[in-house]
Amino acid sequence: MERPIFQPVGTPVEELDTPALVLDLDVMDRNIQVFQGYFADTAIKARPVVTSHLCPQIARRQLDADGTNGGIAVTTLGEAEVFANAGFADILLANEIVTVSKIRRLCALADQTSVGIAVDNPDNAQQLSSGATEAGVELRVLIEIEAGMGRCGISLGAGAIELAQKVNGLPGLKLEGIMGSVPGPRGDDYSDHQDRTLDNLQVIVEAKLSIERSGVAVPVVSVGGTHCYSQALQVPGVTEVRAGRYPLMDYRLKAFLPELNPAAKILASVISHPVDAMAVLDAGHKATAPDQGRPVLEGIEGGSATRFSAEHGIVDLEGDAQKLLNAGDKAWLVPYELGASVNQYDYFRASKNGKLEGFWPISARGRLA
Amino acid sequence: MNEHYRPTPGTPMEDLDTPCLVIDMDDLDNNMDVIADTYRDKTAKLRGHAKNHKTPAIAHRQIRRGGTIGGVCAAKVSEAEVMVHGGIQSVFITSEIVDPMKIDRLCALAGQAEMLVACDQANNARDLSRAAQASGVEVGVVIELETGLRRCGVREINQGVTLAKEINSLPGLKFRGVMSHQTIPDMPDREDRAVEANRTIKGVIDLKGAIEGEGISMDIVSTGETWSYDVAAEIPGVTEIQGGSYLMMETHYGYMTEFHYAAKILSTVISTPKPGTAIGDAGVRAVSSLSGMPTVFDRPGVSVESLDSDHSVFKVEPGVDLNVGDQVLLIPAQQDAMVSRWDRFIGLRKGEVEVVWDIQARGCHN
Repeated sequence: MERPIFQPVGTPVEELDTPALVLDLDVMDRNIQVFQGYFADTAIKARPVVTSHLCPQIARRQLDADGTNGGIAVTTLGEAEVFANAGFADILLANEIVTVSKIRRLCALADQTSVGIAVDNPDNAQQLSSGATEAGVELRVLIEIEAGMGRCGISLGAGAIELAQKVNGLPGLKLEGIMGSVPGPRGDDYSDHQDRTLDNLQVIVEAKLSIERSGVAVPVVSVGGTHCYSQALQVPGVTEVRAGRYPLMDYRLKAFLPELNPAAKILASVISHPVDAMAVLDAGHKATAPDQGRPVLEGIEGGSATRFSAEHGIVDLEGDAQKLLNAGDKAWLVPYELGASVNQYDYFRASKNGKLEGFWPISARGRLA
Repeated sequence: MNEHYRPTPGTPMEDLDTPCLVIDMDDLDNNMDVIADTYRDKTAKLRGHAKNHKTPAIAHRQIRRGGTIGGVCAAKVSEAEVMVHGGIQSVFITSEIVDPMKIDRLCALAGQAEMLVACDQANNARDLSRAAQASGVEVGVVIELETGLRRCGVREINQGVTLAKEINSLPGLKFRGVMSHQTIPDMPDREDRAVEANRTIKGVIDLKGAIEGEGISMDIVSTGETWSYDVAAEIPGVTEIQGGSYLMMETHYGYMTEFHYAAKILSTVISTPKPGTAIGDAGVRAVSSLSGMPTVFDRPGVSVESLDSDHSVFKVEPGVDLNVGDQVLLIPAQQDAMVSRWDRFIGLRKGEVEVVWDIQARGCHN
């Protein structure tokens, strides 16, 4: 576990012990209002993917605002268990669960709350049916359709139709519909994102139509994630958008969705300024998880975070910035890929107007199995 | 914390819910015994780095098996707290501690165990001195010299000598010695490593000489790491080696074949969407892709093509059988990035659970 100093509510955030993952509640609430506002007056609703923050308090805030269908989505069974225990009544586990032991856990969970599960192969459907029947529960099933991610999912075609028909006939399972994820923008070039996303979403809708032509109803068409919302709103047939990144945002998607702002940042301290052109921070890769991209130093003109070793972050300094960031000074890092950074912490330091509001547990952190 | 899932001893690996962090006990013990054998007759001893395993039980196990100085290194104050609370008697924090709240925590620990800390600036030494006096404790201080990592550390011998004089004059502090840390590209040949170790470690030996030339004595020259664990111990003057990666191992040090891959991520294939492709349930959050993709262990014809947050995409060669439900072990390019994502090690011997260790200092960034 993290061993933070639980400083008093009201402490100015820049006085927090570091490294600290600091959440600005006002920025987050604005992001939630803006993004979920897109779904306020449509039949399509947002289903928050809580894997991005792993924090029940944040999920509650999302469901309390307009624009959702009242459900959440998770990526792992462990996450589903945490959120079920936190009182969430509609949880979609948007992933495949294939082992006997986990299917047993999944069915136990379905006795506690309403659980949806992704399926992409008939043997797995059979296993889930046996597990559910034995446990006396019903699992909602979404057939996962491959739509450009190159991951799980059955491809559009006869196999997908047969799978839907099979699920439809199996006891203990309720075929609710289909789901798919589509890729985000490639790098900084957004020029073909609109067309690519519409094409990928069309694959998912095609699957719905072909399954329905075979006589099986497909009430739910669930697509993900945050980056595809505006296209999803244009495609008839889509019923929900699974989106995770929008409440807290990160550097990766900020340029693509400028109306949303990073709400969670890492506060670090300078521990050494050994030469003019360099300062060393107490946040290295363990405190930032830069696997998919380096966090970005905020607010220091002429300063940039260039290297992260296990325990140290290196800031290169040019010009007047060389006079800044002396030992003991604080610095802000904007995560590049927020989900990975959140995964390294046990608490958000929730703040309002620059003052600490409380420590919000990242309850589902580490629940990867 | 994954409080729901704690396998009982005797559980076969095949029955573990995945992804999970497993450690092969035979391989772990082998790696510990290499250390015990290497340092048995040497003046220098290992001070194993706790940042790599973050687990007091593992630190105690290495100390018991031998080759160590009887204490550990830690990277952070909070990590040091876990080690001291876990019964370790001597902890060297190898980072500079400058924040007043952290200095107070360090001094509180110095009342319970021997505490050493790295220092590279006089202001920091004075802050440490004031806090140690206020707490009525003594903190051991070790001067860090930069020898190639371009991070913390004094840059010049003269700077180090001036700082040593300052530390030596400050109440509440005991000047204990000098340290450096360095890294090298893959270097399989022992002779090459010896030459490289002598070249990079010469800096702290020179600094030691210069400080002692001023009449200031020291008892610690702490340097080295996994790549130099054997060759650094042969350099006269070196008293402690800071190794950590050797315990769990990583492909980055794959050329050091005396150490075995002990820690791995156990994952399960959850989908085989098309011929030649399988999807596993371990992604970046489980295994980390820092320093490179993880490597599939002991499954010829299967390799990691890419990692998403929670999925791995395996490339499966034609004719190789890999089905939904099959387990795949992954070894990391960099083990401490992987370990820092987990709450516990599941220790396996001959494929069955022997022990479960909580990674108590996981998340100790402060």
